[in-house]
Amino acid sequence: MNGNNEPIIHIENIHKRFGKVHALRGVSLRIQKGEVVVIVGPSGSGKSTLLRCINRLEEYNSGKIVVDGIPLDSAQNINAVRQEIGMVFQSFNLFSHMTVMDNLVLAQKIIRKRSKDEAHKVALDLLKKVGIPEKINAYPSQISGGQQQRVAIARALAMNPRIMLFDEPTSALDPEMIKEVLDVMMALAKEGMTMVVVSHEMGFARAAANRIIFMDEGQIIEEAPPDQLFSNPRHERTKRFLSKVLDH
Amino acid sequence: MLTSRRLETSDSALKNIPGAEPHSRLDPWWWLVVLVAGIIAILSITRPDPYWRIILFVRDGIGVTAIITVVSFILMLFVGMLGGLGRISKNKAINLITTLYVELVRGVPLLVQLIWWYFAFPVVIQQIGRWTGISFLAAYRANALVLAIFGFVFCYGAYMSEIFRAGIQSIPKGQMEAARSLGMNYFQSMRHVILPQAIRVILPPVGNEFIALLKDSSLVSAVALADLTRRGKEFMSANFNPIETWTMVALIYLVMTLFSARIVNYIERRTKFER
Ligand SMILES: Nc1ncnc2c1ncn2[C@@H]1O[C@H](COP(=O)(O)OP(=O)(O)OP(=O)(O)O)[C@@H](O)[C@H]1O
Ligand SMILES: [Mg+2]
Repeated sequence: MNGNNEPIIHIENIHKRFGKVHALRGVSLRIQKGEVVVIVGPSGSGKSTLLRCINRLEEYNSGKIVVDGIPLDSAQNINAVRQEIGMVFQSFNLFSHMTVMDNLVLAQKIIRKRSKDEAHKVALDLLKKVGIPEKINAYPSQISGGQQQRVAIARALAMNPRIMLFDEPTSALDPEMIKEVLDVMMALAKEGMTMVVVSHEMGFARAAANRIIFMDEGQIIEEAPPDQLFSNPRHERTKRFLSKVLDH
Repeated sequence: MLTSRRLETSDSALKNIPGAEPHSRLDPWWWLVVLVAGIIAILSITRPDPYWRIILFVRDGIGVTAIITVVSFILMLFVGMLGGLGRISKNKAINLITTLYVELVRGVPLLVQLIWWYFAFPVVIQQIGRWTGISFLAAYRANALVLAIFGFVFCYGAYMSEIFRAGIQSIPKGQMEAARSLGMNYFQSMRHVILPQAIRVILPPVGNEFIALLKDSSLVSAVALADLTRRGKEFMSANFNPIETWTMVALIYLVMTLFSARIVNYIERRTKFER
């Protein structure tokens, strides 16, 4: 679409402090349209914080983030950018007082100004795509974690985002449900969605990622395509981390 | 709105939502309401003098009590919602003002507040009118009903703010984040996602406030309003039969509070949902 090689997400030297905790220490990252980037790293290394900075759920102290040509600097821009970015959370965060259908329809109506019929059609198509059209009238508490997470993905997709962010989408799930969610993500990656995924599912990373980013103590230590990073990590810290997560 | 949506869902889905069972049985405590109403009826039939005379005499007082309670309650819901939002606001000025309001109101007895609004507030308005030369302020006359409602809304609004604040804060942070991540702004997220859930959480304490208000409304008898309590006082001083008068007044209050409690309970059960 854009002839030059302008990245769809451009992060430049951002710093984030929570009081005394320096959670991000000068992170820079460029992500191209259609890329799938998986972020790994030990607990507390700043993965979630980085992800949340991209749609400004977290404010950063310094640095610059430009998403799809829009700098994250005014409230107006932030809401505009959020409409372009879908986010999937570890704890699903479905609206618990609404049915699956209403979860998918709400923001379509308010933000995208779609008619009821149109929004319903989009919702139903997406529920088919994630494989649970029959749960359309269920409440979130009535469906399994894996189903909830697939609904959450569909809810984000209903806004036609250009980028999807995933923060450990499978780590709250029982093992038998992980695959159904990863399959949906895999299909999305194949369609060419730009994705930034925090996950320790190394199988998924190997199969879907163009690039893996290893973070530690608020910094990007190393980034490389999965084969290269898994077989031949350059940094000692990456090696130690990978040996822990790849073992089992 | 909620009920209609539930009707669309299948019966099997309904079974899993407590309170939304297709055949919600009547709450058994209704018989207590019937019992007390029955006692009132029996007393008025078997001994119309004085019991039926008392009822006829205090009848308009029941209306005043009901109007004060219902109007104040509706208005204080709005005050409570705004106050609750103010208490969690990140804006320092708004936060300070609402916190100050809540703290001050909670430190003064309700009766003193009602008396202040009725006897002191009009004088303050008149003084301001005189200083500024605005004649309609200077000529301001106290309207007992309006000032009583104002006093209740002002006082109960503070307690209600705390209930709303707690209710909003009880909703997991992820709900707001999910709404914001879909591009909704703060107010859209509050209106469509947070408040509908918070309201279900706060229904029991809000219902209790309604019943407390109904009882506290008897305090207005101190500020020249002919509510149920004041009409009782008037009847007694004319007829010198304290036992009959105050027993009947108490029974009428009891019927109203028991009835309200059942309504609150019914609404609670209809709107309960699982997280
Ligand atoms: N809201 C917050 N308030 C204070 N400190 C925070 C907050 N959020 C994160 N932190 C701190 O910032 C650092 C980075 O946290 P972050 O959640 O980004 O790590 P993470 O890499 O996602 O870890 P995990 O794998 O456990 O999810 C941690 O030290 C954490 O304690
Ligand atoms: Mg995290």
